[in-house]
Formats: sequence, structure tokens, C-alpha cells
Amino acid sequence: MPVDDYEADATELMETYDFLMKYIVIGEAGTGKSCLLHQFTHNSFKDHSQHTIGVEFSSRTIKLGEKRIKLQLWDTAGQERFRSVTRSYYRGAAGAILVYDITSRASFTNLAQWLADARALASPYLVTVLVGNKSDREEDREVEWAEASKWAAENDLHFLEASSLSGDNVEAPFLLCTRAILLSIESGILDPEKAGSGVSYGDRALRRVNSSSRLSFGSLSGNRRKSGTIKLRLPGPGKKCC
Amino acid sequence: MRSTHKPSVNGVALDETVPGDIAAGARKNLRRDVESKLAESSRKFLKAFGDVDKQLDTLQEHIASMRTQCDEAQTQLEETSEACKALLDRAGSLREERQAIATRQSIVTLFLGQFTLSEDEKEAILSRDVPVGKRFFAAMDKAEKIRDDCRVLMTGEDGPTKAGLEILSATSGYLEQAHQKIFRWCRSEIWQMGRDNQLDVGPSMREAIRRLRQHPELFTEALAYLSQTRQATLLGAFTDALTRGGPGGLPRPIELHAHDPLRYVGDMLAWVHQAIAAEREFLESLFGVRGDMRMVGSVRTFGGSVEEEWMGELMDTAVGKLCTPLKVRVQQTVRSQESSITSYKIANLLQFYMLTMQRTIGEAAQLSKTLKELTDMAYQIFFDAIEAQGRSLLRVAPDLDDISVSPPLVVLDHAQVLREIMVVYESSLAGDETEEQLLSGFRDILDKMVDPAIESCLTSSEEKQKFRPDWDKPVFVLNTLAYLQSVIEPFRFTAEKQGVIQGLIEAKILQLTEEHYKNILTEAGLAEPIAAIGTRQPNEPLSRLPAAQPAQLQAALRQFSLWLSGPGVVESPRLSQLTVQSLAARVQQASLERLAGAYRRLCEEVRKPKNKYEAAATLLGSERPFGQVHLLWQIFGLQHSGEDEYAGKIG
Repeated sequence: MPVDDYEADATELMETYDFLMKYIVIGEAGTGKSCLLHQFTHNSFKDHSQHTIGVEFSSRTIKLGEKRIKLQLWDTAGQERFRSVTRSYYRGAAGAILVYDITSRASFTNLAQWLADARALASPYLVTVLVGNKSDREEDREVEWAEASKWAAENDLHFLEASSLSGDNVEAPFLLCTRAILLSIESGILDPEKAGSGVSYGDRALRRVNSSSRLSFGSLSGNRRKSGTIKLRLPGPGKKCC
Repeated sequence: MRSTHKPSVNGVALDETVPGDIAAGARKNLRRDVESKLAESSRKFLKAFGDVDKQLDTLQEHIASMRTQCDEAQTQLEETSEACKALLDRAGSLREERQAIATRQSIVTLFLGQFTLSEDEKEAILSRDVPVGKRFFAAMDKAEKIRDDCRVLMTGEDGPTKAGLEILSATSGYLEQAHQKIFRWCRSEIWQMGRDNQLDVGPSMREAIRRLRQHPELFTEALAYLSQTRQATLLGAFTDALTRGGPGGLPRPIELHAHDPLRYVGDMLAWVHQAIAAEREFLESLFGVRGDMRMVGSVRTFGGSVEEEWMGELMDTAVGKLCTPLKVRVQQTVRSQESSITSYKIANLLQFYMLTMQRTIGEAAQLSKTLKELTDMAYQIFFDAIEAQGRSLLRVAPDLDDISVSPPLVVLDHAQVLREIMVVYESSLAGDETEEQLLSGFRDILDKMVDPAIESCLTSSEEKQKFRPDWDKPVFVLNTLAYLQSVIEPFRFTAEKQGVIQGLIEAKILQLTEEHYKNILTEAGLAEPIAAIGTRQPNEPLSRLPAAQPAQLQAALRQFSLWLSGPGVVESPRLSQLTVQSLAARVQQASLERLAGAYRRLCEEVRKPKNKYEAAATLLGSERPFGQVHLLWQIFGLQHSGEDEYAGKIG
């Protein structure tokens, strides 16, 4: 397919993407999942947030290296009574953002159940990032960073702390998750062509696939890490809110 | 000088014979010589001039001829000059003409450049080899600009000009072709999208759709094709998710969980919900509408832009095809439920998605209608189930051999089901319902479940008592009612029904208190004197009545005194059968209060002189509580009521 100037120029402005990924955001009620997501998609704190009813949806396109990735984000209600509804949304998710509240011990102790649910119901290649939210409330902290980090390592999760109030580290879990998924696509573990993987190619990637047989991820391969705990303090990239 | 020259000039040897002769002769000769010489010279001159004259004549002839010729030439020249002048004039006018034509030509070229498409542009529009892209769109822009300019020009002149009309018709032909090309291209892109199952929209596609909107017929056709393709794609994807699952069978196919009705129905609906979200995003980027940053689930306002209308329609049709497979499966699942609790849970789940879908794609969408239908059906089936359960409760014959007064097993089971249904209802509340919504959402269910339970309790106990008169029916009824009350009490949305049951309970308590009071009055031996007080004639002294004669009264008071030291004051075997002990205490207390009241009345009557008791004080003071009502209150462990006459003393 010939790509003329028109398309090349417009690509910078338009929301084309290389990959489309489906994420779920899970965790106990009141841990700030919706606020985290709001901060991520709107770059602002969601004041007076109500409990989520059932499931809500939003999306954002991010840029990682050379790649543009569109994230379809499913925000779930944490309350037990919605569990039967929200569980159905784990199907075919490529990534899960598992959120607890560092000022609530209870939200941390229940994580095992959440993780078990996610692993049982979602894609087998589900990449999970553990997020300790409300890191701005250090004085009320009930869960130590080291403890959560240890638990995350034991369960083969990425881990970091963030604040949906200040926006601190809010993009990092999504970037981390996306990078891990891109790596598994690159290594051939995950095939975006197949339905149910939670990942699919976008228009840009398809064009590239047609022109060259192999996808290249540039610098990504160099930074490859074993999954484990990474304390990330990524500088927030400019407003690229979808 | 002359003398020197003479000899050499004459050339004659001079022999002078006479000296001076020669000189004289020379002088004579010189003159002659000179004259002859002069004549000679003159002759020579004449001759020479004759020649010259001759020559001059010739010359004159020549000149004359020249002159003639010159004249001729002059004439000719004049003639030529005359002729040339016309030519020059023509040349000049031609040059001017040429100038004018050149100017016109450049104007025409500019005009044509302005008002016609170049070969390159025509190619961009017509050729299949030029892709729909920047070049193509630029050519289209040109054609449109020509049309606009042309229209402007034509409005300026007196009506449409021929050229203008021609330009319009030519460009409209090109635009038509361009739209056709866009249309064909869109079709193939859409087809491609359907095949690759990817929903990314490139800028060219978005631009193409935007341009195609100017051509309503093709646009509608393209959208129709789009919706057709999306329908087929979504249906295929849904079927895959149902029966095949993800890559390598993971996540597992939805139908694998058909045995778990809630999960099965929930998974299907969640899949559809997610498909709608993706579809919505796809359409937003197709129509170039920026997402309104709305979270799915929050209420969408309809009736906005025309794009919104198209998107609504397209989403409706895209997921419309899913209705059939969804409906068949949900109906089958709902119908095959035996448990009314599961039925209720499914109905609730369906209702949740019905509301979600109504907010997402509007109430008029096929899917919303289907979900409404399914929700109604699920509720109908649930109501049928609980009604049947209620009817079966009424049909259960009382167990005559069972002498217990606790609620029967069928009622316990029934209430257990009710409790679970209430838990489900409570969990389905969003928390922002009004009090009325809260109550009305569950009123029907409560009526259909609690009323038969109450009715069966009342009718079966009635029946049972006919066969077993010794069986304590009031206690049984109270127990059953109190049990039902305890089941619904924790849920605030049952307030109305609680009120109804409480009313029944109060009535039963009054009844029971009456009975119990009579019983203890008899046990305490005061029944007969009290009855005598009630039945005597107004003027008849009480002491004259058989039951209240001093001896009888004495015996009655003794019995009362004995009863006071017995266990009957604090407990009653009958009341202990009440499962709710607070009710038993209430009945006991109320009965004792009435007993105390009866004793007081007796004392008052005895003390009245008109009743003619001799030594009334002695009679009353012989046995506990010695005619002192406040003492009786103390014995009964009751708090004094305000009007009690002894309150002051004791306090």
C-alpha cells in the first residue's frame, strides 16, 4: 500500500495506532481505581467520585518508543455485590491493573483473591501490575512499600506506588504493563492476530507488517527485564490524552 | 633669365652677322614667335576644348538620360512608397491585434487554469492507479473550488452563462466520479476491516467518509455496507467467543460455562457490552468525532449532532444481529432454572445490562428492546415461580401429630428463599433510590412471598386446632409471624410489610394477653370475686354475693397469696413457648398489670362501706399483699404507672 504524504503528515495528528490492548482495572472498593483511571485519561483528579456501578469504559492512546498503543480500559466496581458482573469483563484482557490502597490494610490482604480471580478468568498471558494507590497519604500508610514489593515479587507481578490525587506515577503502571505485553508479542508468546488475546493490530502496524515481515521494537529489546519489581518514576509525557 | 633660356629654347645655333642684327632680328622674331606660339597654343587649346566640348556634350547626354532615369526612379519610388504605406498600416494593426490576442490568450489560460482540472488532476480523480489519498483529495478540492468560484461569478453576471454552466456540468461529472471512487475505495476498506477484524481508522478513511457525506446516496449506501459488514463480523466474533474461545481455547468459550447460568448470561452480556464500546470508538474515529470523555455507563444525552444519530443507528444495527443468538441462549437459560433465587439473580443481571445498554445505545435500539423483553420474561418467570411456591405453601396440610408451636419447616424454607432474594435485591440497589423506589421495587415480591406465608399460617392453624383443641394456636401464630418479621426486619425496603406484620402481631399479643390474664386470674383465685364485682346489681352489697362472701373472699385471698409466692408470677409455661422472649415478657407484664389492677379494684370495693364488709381492713390485711397495691407492684417487679396512688409513698 503506498503511503503518500497526506497520510504521513496526518498520522501525527490523528489517532492511529499500532496495537489495541484491553486492560482491566481491579481491586477492592474505595482504593481509587476510577480516580487513577481518570487521572490517566484526563490528567486531573476526579473529585467526589462515586462508587462505580458495574463496569465503566474509557480509552487512551499512549506512545511507547516508536509504537502507538491504544488502550481500552475497563474500570470495574470493587464492591462484592458487583463481582458477578465484573468477573465477566476479565475475559480476553491483555493486562490488569491491580489496585490497593496503601492506607488500608484490608485492601492489601484481599489482593490474593483478586489476583486468583484475574488469573483464572483472563487470558493466560495476562500481565498484571500491582499499584499501591494514595501514595500522597504517607502519614496514614498501613502497607509498607517493602512488604507489597515482596508480595508482588512472590506473585510475579510488577509493582509500584502511585497517587491518583497528585497524579504522581499514574502513567507508569500502564506504560509498564504495555511494555511487558509488547515484549511478549515480540518474543512470539502473544499473537495479536488471534481473537481473545486482548491485543490486536492497528492500521499502522498492519501496514508495517505488510511491508516488512518482522516487527521491530527498536530500543525496547535492550531494556528487557525479568518481570519483578521495578520502582518507576517516569516523567509524565506530554498531554496525549485521547 | 630669358637670355639664358633663349639659345636652349630655340635650339638654333645662332650666328650673329651683324652684331646686334641678330638681337634686332631676334626682337622682330620674338614677337612673331610669341604670337605664333600663342596662336599655336590657342589652336591647341581650341582643339583641346573642342574635345572637352565634345566630351561635355556626351556628358550632357548622359546626364540627361540619367535625369530621365532618375525621374523614372523617382516616380517609381513614389509609387512604391504609396503602396508601402498601406502595408505598414496593416502590419501595425496586425501587431496590435496580435498583442490583444496574446493578452486574451493568457487570460483564457488563466481562466482555464482556474476553472478546469489539469490532466494530472483528472488522472488523480479518474485513474484507479492513483490511490485515495492526498493527491486525490487535492484534485477534489480543486474541482469543488472551481464550482464555488463559478457560482460566485455567475451570480455576478446576468444569469448563468453558457461557459459557467459547462464548467459546472464538467466538474460535477468529475466530482461524481470522485465520489464513486471514494465509495468503491471505502467499500474495499470496510471489507478489509471486516476481514482483519481491526477497527483502526486511518486519516484517509476518515477524510473519505467526510467527503462522501456530500453525496447522500453513496454515503447512505456506504454506511449500509458498513453496518452490514460490522453485523457479520460481530456475529462471527460473538459466535467464536461462544463456541471457540480465544487462541488455543483460552479464554475458554463462553458456552463452556452454560451450566453456571449467571456466569453464562453475564459473560455473554459483558462480551456484547465490550463489543459496543469498541464499536462506538470505531465510529467516533470514523466520523472524526472526538470522544466526549464520557465513561460508559454514565448517561449519554441523545439527539445531539447528526453524527451522533448515525452512530446510534450504526451501533444499533451492528449489534442488532447479536440479538437472536443472545435471546435464544438467555431464554433457554432462564426457562431451565428451578431455583427462584437464581431466576431472580438472572432477572437482576438482565435488568442491569438493560439499563446499561439503554444508556449506551438508547432505548429504541434493538438490543435494548431485546434485553427489555428478556428482563420482563425473566421477571415473569421469577414471579411465576414464587407465586407457585406461595400456592404450594397454602396446599401443605398441617401436621396434626406435631404439637410444637414453632414455625413449620415449609415456612422456614420459604423464608430462607425470601431472605436470599432480599439479599440479591439489596445488592442490586445503587444507593440513590428514593424511598418510594426502594419500596416499590420489592413490594410485589414481598406480597407474593409473605402474604401466602401468613395466610397459610392462619388457615392451617385454624384447621389444626379443630382437630387438636389442646394445641396452642395463638402462640404458634405469634411465633410464625415473629419469625417472618425477623426475616424481613434487617432490610429497610420491607418497612411496609413489617408494619403489616407488626399490626398482626400486636393484635395477637392483645388476644394472648387477654387469655393469659384470665388464666392467671383463675390460677391466683381472684377470678370469682372479680367476676362478682362485674356482675352484681348496682345496689346489692358485694359481701352478699356468694363468690364474694367474706369466707370465700378470705379463701380467695389466701390462694392469691400462695400464688404470689409460686413461679406463676415470673414465668408461664405457656408463654415460654413463644420463641421471641421479649413478646412473652410483654404479655406477662401486661397480664400482671391487669392482675394488679384487678386486685386494686377488689380492695377498693371491699373497703367501700356500701359493700358491707365487716372489718374490711382485717380481711384484706390477713394475707399478702395485705391490701397494699404498691407492694403487689413490687412483688410483680413492675414499674409504677403515673396514676398509681401509692407512687409517692414508695418513691
